[in-house]
Amino acid sequence: MGLLTAASLLLSGMAKAQAPEAAAPAKAAGMNEQELLFWVLLGLLGVLLLVLLSVGITIVVQMKPQLRLLYNLPTVHGTWSGKVLGLLVGDATLVRGEYRDELLDHDYDGIHEFDNDLPPWWKYGFYFTIVFAFVYVGYYHLTTKGQLQVAEYETEMRQAALLVSAGSDDPTKLTTYLALTTAADLSSGKSIYATNCAPCHGASAEGKVGPNLTDDYWLHGGEVNQVYKTIKFGIPSKGMVAWKGKLSGKQILQVTSYALSLQGSLPANAKPPQGEKEAVGKPVAGL
Amino acid sequence: MQAELELPTAATLPLLVAPPPVRGIETFFYDNKIVRDFGIATVIWGIIGMLVGVLAAFQLARPEVNLGNAYTTFGRIRPLHTNAVIFAFVGNGIFTGVYYSLQRLCKARMFSDVLSKIHFWGWQLIIVSAVISLPLGLTTSKEYAELEWPIDIAITVVWVVFGWNMFGTIARRRERHLYVGIWFYIATFLTVAVLHIVNSAALPVSFMKSYSAYAGVQDALVQWWYGHNAVAFFLTTPYLGLMYYFLPKAAERPVYSYRLSIIHFWSLIFIYIWAGPHHLLYTALPDWAQSLGVAFSIMLIAPSWGGMINGLLTLRGAWDRVRTEPVLKFFVVAITAYGMATFEGPMLALKNVNALAHFTDWIVAHVHVGALGWNGFLTFGMLYWLWPRLYKTPLHSTKLANTHFWLGTFGILFYAIPMYWSGFTQGLMWKQFNSEGMLQYPNFLETVLQLVPMYYLRGIGGVLYLSGVFLMMFNLYKTAKSGVLLVNEKAEAPALLPAAEDPHATGGHWHRWLERRPFQLAVGATVAILIGGVIEMVPMFLVESNVPTIASVKPYTSLELQGRDLYIKEGCSNCHTQMVRPFRSETERYGEYSKAGEFVYDRPFLWGSKRTGPDLHRLGGKYPHSWHYNHMMDPTSMSPGSIMPPYPWLLDNEIDYTDLPAKIRVLQQLGTPYPAGYDQQAVADAQQQAKGIVAELKKEDIDVKSDKEIVALIAYLQRLGTDIKVKPEQAATSAEAAAAQ
Repeated sequence: MGLLTAASLLLSGMAKAQAPEAAAPAKAAGMNEQELLFWVLLGLLGVLLLVLLSVGITIVVQMKPQLRLLYNLPTVHGTWSGKVLGLLVGDATLVRGEYRDELLDHDYDGIHEFDNDLPPWWKYGFYFTIVFAFVYVGYYHLTTKGQLQVAEYETEMRQAALLVSAGSDDPTKLTTYLALTTAADLSSGKSIYATNCAPCHGASAEGKVGPNLTDDYWLHGGEVNQVYKTIKFGIPSKGMVAWKGKLSGKQILQVTSYALSLQGSLPANAKPPQGEKEAVGKPVAGL
Repeated sequence: MQAELELPTAATLPLLVAPPPVRGIETFFYDNKIVRDFGIATVIWGIIGMLVGVLAAFQLARPEVNLGNAYTTFGRIRPLHTNAVIFAFVGNGIFTGVYYSLQRLCKARMFSDVLSKIHFWGWQLIIVSAVISLPLGLTTSKEYAELEWPIDIAITVVWVVFGWNMFGTIARRRERHLYVGIWFYIATFLTVAVLHIVNSAALPVSFMKSYSAYAGVQDALVQWWYGHNAVAFFLTTPYLGLMYYFLPKAAERPVYSYRLSIIHFWSLIFIYIWAGPHHLLYTALPDWAQSLGVAFSIMLIAPSWGGMINGLLTLRGAWDRVRTEPVLKFFVVAITAYGMATFEGPMLALKNVNALAHFTDWIVAHVHVGALGWNGFLTFGMLYWLWPRLYKTPLHSTKLANTHFWLGTFGILFYAIPMYWSGFTQGLMWKQFNSEGMLQYPNFLETVLQLVPMYYLRGIGGVLYLSGVFLMMFNLYKTAKSGVLLVNEKAEAPALLPAAEDPHATGGHWHRWLERRPFQLAVGATVAILIGGVIEMVPMFLVESNVPTIASVKPYTSLELQGRDLYIKEGCSNCHTQMVRPFRSETERYGEYSKAGEFVYDRPFLWGSKRTGPDLHRLGGKYPHSWHYNHMMDPTSMSPGSIMPPYPWLLDNEIDYTDLPAKIRVLQQLGTPYPAGYDQQAVADAQQQAKGIVAELKKEDIDVKSDKEIVALIAYLQRLGTDIKVKPEQAATSAEAAAAQ
């Protein structure tokens, strides 16, 4: 009763207070007045509950000796409400259990057994996990809310797709980039090359598992946008890895430009030419 | 305090008011020699198993430690380590404790000295055969069940001998009721028997080669029902039984609660068996089975902790002695480690935690808290308590035992903390996307090299722990030297009266009825442990929708099959998974997530449980043959800095086609749809395919004969995960052609 009265008093007081101060900023924040009123009321209700809680705690703390006397009454002690009272006055045995330590008539090679209660924290913990287990299975298999793994994956992919611009993954269309020429880009390209490309194409692009990149011969085109495409989408049938998703578009262009800058560098142990001779692949980057 | 320890008087226990009938006192002798023998075996195998573990630990930090030969590479050494520690160290530890405590709890000598001896030597022979066969690469690849079928049969026989001896002793007991420790021993015996037989079911191809009776998803479910419950019923329940004997003995305190023993025993064995699928979360295992695994794992917290509580609360009134008595120190840390590991396990079983932790070193940290802390420390405490009693002399040095305790404790910390660190690092690096929506660490190797310092630290932790065990060996040896083994220990007890005349044979707590009846108790335990397994496995086998068929998935060619068996032999699945989970971070890195229908011809399944190297399920077609050739010869040539050991012998060894027709026939028997009579064409078919691969390699200036193992392995690796790619790849090729025009 008291709580209700207090709440209604506060609410009516607030309703008067909000009118002048809230109207203007509400528009600015893109909220309508009703929404703002709702949140202000909710906030105040929260504050009110905190106040009540602290009052309650203060009362319990102040009256602890009296409450304990009450709790110790045999008619109160064993009851359900008595147990709540016991928790309030800090009776640890309600959580920990009582150590009655009464021996059973068991004797196994000198080992005796007490028959103490299951510790209540353990027992109720066990109940809790059982409830949790049923709710868990129900949530995933009986309601439509819980996403099973494939649904969860699809959601994740949909969210990720929002980050990527549409059409950027179309391998049928060639890009129209120009090779990068700044020292900074070529040096980034060089370090990308060293980490990712060197194992297969050789440290100086002389060709190992993958083809030589320094000669005029190209298997999939030596023009900057063709090389870009080869790197981005790979040639899965021949073992060229697709670097899309591993390198950004900018990084791919950097490493493309770096590789083309090595044209005609005549490294040692060069792998014999593979593919078509293409003059167009000549040092675009150096121009 | 002393008063509590006295036997209850007639006044406090009205049940006993009637004077008990006079019973003839019998004299008999406990067999201590068998206990001592198992104890020595425990120490020796413990040292060997841990040494191999230290070797394996440093192999991950420095590939040179693989020692450059096939027999000591990580893939073969790691199963040796796990088997030696679980079945040799802990196994002998179980038998040491059971043979000591069972006799005393039953007030009877072991049923048969001959059976005891057969058990002892049989078990040691099985271990020796494991020590020989695993480095040779004779393995089924199923974790903790790697031993091949003849050894599996030997294990079954020896296990039956153990059971026979145990139940024989129980039948001859002079104690009416079975103590809680014995309930755990009985549950252990029965469940391990069921687990071992069901999971090891296989059809032999030759003397040391077999194919699993189950394929793909079903094999995975059976394996992890086994794997999880090997932890439960080989590393947990028997050790709880030992704790219930040795802890109250060492603490000289009564057990905290009989009631708690009953509740946690039955709930533990009933619930544990269901939790296996939590090893397969986010895999191709059907969702319903995964959810059951999670739900039961959460419910397992309290039953597991029941044992911890009953242990720790038994120490009430003895904590002052924990300060001075190394045995109790070991026990306290063991029980605490048990409590931590059994809380962590259910947390790891939650899907969102598992998504981060699975396949990483976090799991390695978790199991080692259990193995080093719970099993190791309980064993050490037990041995320090036993030795002075077996040799009737005080322990050689309490100080040394204390030093062992601290070395071991720091060893655990040095092991676990770097592995937790490593696990979090790995899990987070795999999943990290940058602001452009791309993997932050697209190169898997980058995530591995980040962990190398942790691998060193973990190795140091292992060395610390192992050095403590050496101290123990010395201490026990000196103790034995200063005393004389009491081979046969005299004991006296009244014979059991016929049930009709025995006032103890009726009444009491309802559970006492069961404790007087070993047979009914065993039946009850069997029913409890069968329910979960049956409910999870039977639908998985019978309901087709659990493994949706994919039409493009075809059986392996005979050469790929040979390559697959090499993959198994070299233990590749110890470091590489074949299970792309449905996470964006994994499909970006590896390709399409793995589907249940892709594994229907996989006998055994090779999903793996640890991703030290990258996942391989979508490896097929990713690199040219020459990449694999160079990579197997020297991994660092293709992946600079790689910690994978080189496999140069694959380039020299010839493919062994002798068993191939038999392999095909066995697989046909198991249901793989090879055409009739294919066994006779299989070799020619394999040679034909090998020639094609050799020709491809030739184009890359690699000269290799078509009968070398590397060719078969390349054939298998290039096939991996490609069956469902058939369509998209064709699409890509046509797109490329279109672009070229």
